[in-house]
Amino acid sequence: MFKNHIKIAWRGLKMDKMFSALNILGLSIGLTIAILLFSFISFEKSFDKQYKSYSDIYRVLVNTTGDAFDKEIMATAPAAVAPALKEELSAVKYAARMLQHSFGETAFIKANNNNFIEKRLFWCDQELFSIFDTKFIKGDPASAITRPNTVVLSKSAAEKYFGTIDPMGKTIKVDDKTELEVTGVFEDFAKNSTIDCNLIASFSSTYFSKEPSWSNSSFETYVQLKDNASKVASENQMQQILDKNVDKQGQWYTLSLQPLSEVHLYSKDYTSTYTSRIGSISEIKNLSFLALLILLIACVNYMNLMTARSQKRAKDVGINKTLGASSKSLVGRFYAETGLLTLIALCIGVVLSIAIIPIFNTITGASIDYKFLMAPSFIIGVCIVWLVTTLVAGSYPAFYLSGFSPSAILKSANRTVSNAVIRKALVVFQFTASVVLIVGVLVVYQQLEFMKNKDLGYKPQNVIAVSTAAIKTYNKKQALANEVKKLSSVIEVGSAQGFPGMDVSGRSLHKNDQDENGKNIQTNVADASVLEVLQLKLLAGKTLPSVKQEGDTLVDVVLNKKAITYLGLTPEEAIGKKVDMQLGDNATIIGVVDDFNFESLHKPIGAYAFHNSRFEGKPYLLVRFNSASVANTMRQLESAYNKVATDSSFDYTFLDKNMEQLYEQDRKTAKVGLLFCLLAIFVACLGLFGLAAFTAEQRKKEIGVRKVLGASVLGITQMLSADFLKLIAVSIIIAFPVAYIIMQKWLETFAFRISIGWLVFFVAGMCAVIIALITVSFQAIKAATANPIKSLRTE
Amino acid sequence: MLLELNHIYKWVQSGGQKIFLLKDINLKVEEGEFISIMGPSGSGKSTLLNIIGMLDVFNEGEYNFLEDSVHNLKEKHRSNLYKQYIGFVFQAYHLLDELTVYENLEMPLLYKKYSSSERKALVADMLDKFNIVGKQNLFPSQLSGGQQQLVGIARALISNPKLILADEPTGNLNSKQGEEIMEIFKELNKEGVTIIQVTHSEKNAAYASRTINLLDGRQV
Ligand SMILES: Nc1ncnc2c1ncn2[C@@H]1O[C@H](COP(=O)(O)OP(=O)(O)O)[C@@H](O)[C@H]1O
Ligand SMILES: [Mg+2]
Repeated sequence: MFKNHIKIAWRGLKMDKMFSALNILGLSIGLTIAILLFSFISFEKSFDKQYKSYSDIYRVLVNTTGDAFDKEIMATAPAAVAPALKEELSAVKYAARMLQHSFGETAFIKANNNNFIEKRLFWCDQELFSIFDTKFIKGDPASAITRPNTVVLSKSAAEKYFGTIDPMGKTIKVDDKTELEVTGVFEDFAKNSTIDCNLIASFSSTYFSKEPSWSNSSFETYVQLKDNASKVASENQMQQILDKNVDKQGQWYTLSLQPLSEVHLYSKDYTSTYTSRIGSISEIKNLSFLALLILLIACVNYMNLMTARSQKRAKDVGINKTLGASSKSLVGRFYAETGLLTLIALCIGVVLSIAIIPIFNTITGASIDYKFLMAPSFIIGVCIVWLVTTLVAGSYPAFYLSGFSPSAILKSANRTVSNAVIRKALVVFQFTASVVLIVGVLVVYQQLEFMKNKDLGYKPQNVIAVSTAAIKTYNKKQALANEVKKLSSVIEVGSAQGFPGMDVSGRSLHKNDQDENGKNIQTNVADASVLEVLQLKLLAGKTLPSVKQEGDTLVDVVLNKKAITYLGLTPEEAIGKKVDMQLGDNATIIGVVDDFNFESLHKPIGAYAFHNSRFEGKPYLLVRFNSASVANTMRQLESAYNKVATDSSFDYTFLDKNMEQLYEQDRKTAKVGLLFCLLAIFVACLGLFGLAAFTAEQRKKEIGVRKVLGASVLGITQMLSADFLKLIAVSIIIAFPVAYIIMQKWLETFAFRISIGWLVFFVAGMCAVIIALITVSFQAIKAATANPIKSLRTE
Repeated sequence: MLLELNHIYKWVQSGGQKIFLLKDINLKVEEGEFISIMGPSGSGKSTLLNIIGMLDVFNEGEYNFLEDSVHNLKEKHRSNLYKQYIGFVFQAYHLLDELTVYENLEMPLLYKKYSSSERKALVADMLDKFNIVGKQNLFPSQLSGGQQQLVGIARALISNPKLILADEPTGNLNSKQGEEIMEIFKELNKEGVTIIQVTHSEKNAAYASRTINLLDGRQV
């Protein structure tokens, strides 16, 4: 019987080629998206599972308590935490700290007489390799980085730095200062590993290992608990350890443990992690929802086209029933038919997915590879998708059609099987979803445009930050600045600790002694000219002094308006006042600049200060240039740099590009949204096209009669299109409030955002109408221009 | 006695009004009879045939088929009954377009769960009997109307029914093809199959041993 079902289904497919093609195309698209998303989700969920001790590994989180940090949770802990836990907490088997080079900066590496830029150099405790079982190709994981000034390289880093030469025992030089001996080579970390170091140097080489403090919270700390050790009990003990080492006043945080299983997907809001691989569970949820929506639209399409053919189907059902078929066997038959069709679509979907994976990887930033498609979990997943699609898409034809009474077809008056209402509802559903997606895409693009063009309060365009971390002496840095200043295309230069768009030192600003918590403030050590380079607007006072006497303990501070507003001062009042912001007793406000967006527009503007204390260095040279010839300017800058810093390579950042980087996630959302939107509309159009074809076919005779009686082609086209337009109108009416609510929610993730205007709805509505009209009128015109005699004769 | 209809009424509700399709039909059919039903278009012939075939329900009256009271039977039993005893032949042939002649004949046997070897034997018999062995691999669209109706009859007969119900079986055929079909019916009737046919042709009606005339849903 089953073989027979399949045979009939297969012949049916071949006989009705257009319907089959529309169906398969729609389902293939839906399934392709589902497969891609499924592989993306499994990839994201597979993170870190390769580590043997997966379930026993935790990251130490620092939960800040004061208001100054807005209850920020940090993924990095003080350097004293790991040794203390290892020592005093019996449940801890291993503990390791990781510090990215210079708290997250680029390292300049000299190896084998070549200069390299390395973004993923870490200083780590040796137990890291015990926690995350790392395969060593050369050297011994148990001892490789126990000594100071040793380093191990990933296989690809070893190839990059040393080519075919054996790196063991060789030295590399970091930032033209520190020499490290290579003591091992390890297999690259997998793409789905949160740990993503290229170079791992011994933590004992660093200053922090000698005097680990309980306050500088900059070290990503992982621990492995002993088998069956309880997380909660360990956390309680951690509090006791904290109490023992830090007095209550000094405790601005509590410690907690985050299971490794949550590190990748549930850490989006935690700050200062060093990994470049941060996933987001909400992204996964949104994508899954969109994928399901498209799959559902494709299934609806299928049901729609199936019911459109129900007249022929009704006849089949009737005949089969008189021949003795039970409803059950007919349900089986329709499922077999759907299953066959979805199987074909699935095969196409798999092939398409494989073709699309590279594009998908670039859009989403994922790194799914083809091997992944062979994994048993993936194959099982695809089978589940196939089964579910078949069940959903097949349900309607199976149960609706198999219920037909056989006598219906035996009646001489061949009554039309009326399921118009359901068909209309299905079309409305598809178009509602499409219009919602169109509105969504338009709003996302408007917001992105808005962010691109918003006046940020400073001008990041045509400013470049050249990293000078590898230049050792002040004189050399000064020489570089002078050299650069001489270039004709350069307008202004200034050194600074950082620039807007990157994290600088966080401190807290206090109104007075009673104000214990204070307000979080970003502080940036800068030259006098930096205000000019960034083109900030000075509201009162003046910029930082250009020279500062050696040994001068006075700290000059330029605050932004947010900061002085917090202090309860006007710009004019603020000038000359002393300020308590962890910069010593002699910090004095000498200038006030207008607020500017130094973080992404997701966040409201906070307090910011430029100052000239000597607590931090100034590893960036900010250069404003005129835009006439960027390439030429870059060449000149590089040669100036190489003249001064002979031992390191030229590394730079464009400030505006860096700003855009902050919206990477949003742009990703926009791109994925656009892609899905187009596909959804396309699939919906396939359905509409099929339906229009069906209607035209059904009304062939009527159209013939009308034409014989003198109806014009235009009149008939209008008549056929009008019905569909009504449906589209209903979809639009339903879609608008839904889209508004969803997009308003999305916009609320931005502190600076557009308001949704009526124009968006107008455009989305028009798009839907025009697309639908084109789809439908194609069929309508074909029907209207057909020779009426022909259509009348065929009856 | 094969079947018996007593005071059968069928009506439909239309705008609060009862429209009678059949009024007070009384009919006894013995095994081996050949009956024609005649009457103008819309007089209720098909409706009556469908009720006899248990494809349609009636509103009042009694219907006994062999030992069973059809009016008291559940849907499931009723369909089992017609599957077992009744074969249908249609004016529009109603062959399954996606299936070959062979497969069309095989279909009822599949539904009745015959074994594969039994199916083969029975289909081969039928192909032989109706002289369509050469056509077994063709699709319905490749046959003439008369040939399609032959297949339709062969399919109705394949599971060896007691009763054949034929609604204008020759309606779409020319007179020569119609005559051939009637000859086949005559043959089958001789072999003991009961036949009830609806027809508009006096000549075809004459093949039957008895004719029932309908007018506006009533026997005349
Ligand atoms: N379900 C129904 N609802 C309303 N009228 C029906 C229905 N079924 C049949 N009829 C009407 O009943 C009459 C008898 O139909 P039918 O038995 O098909 O006539 P015929 O004798 O031509 O085969 C016709 O007028 C037909 O339109
Ligand atoms: Mg009739």
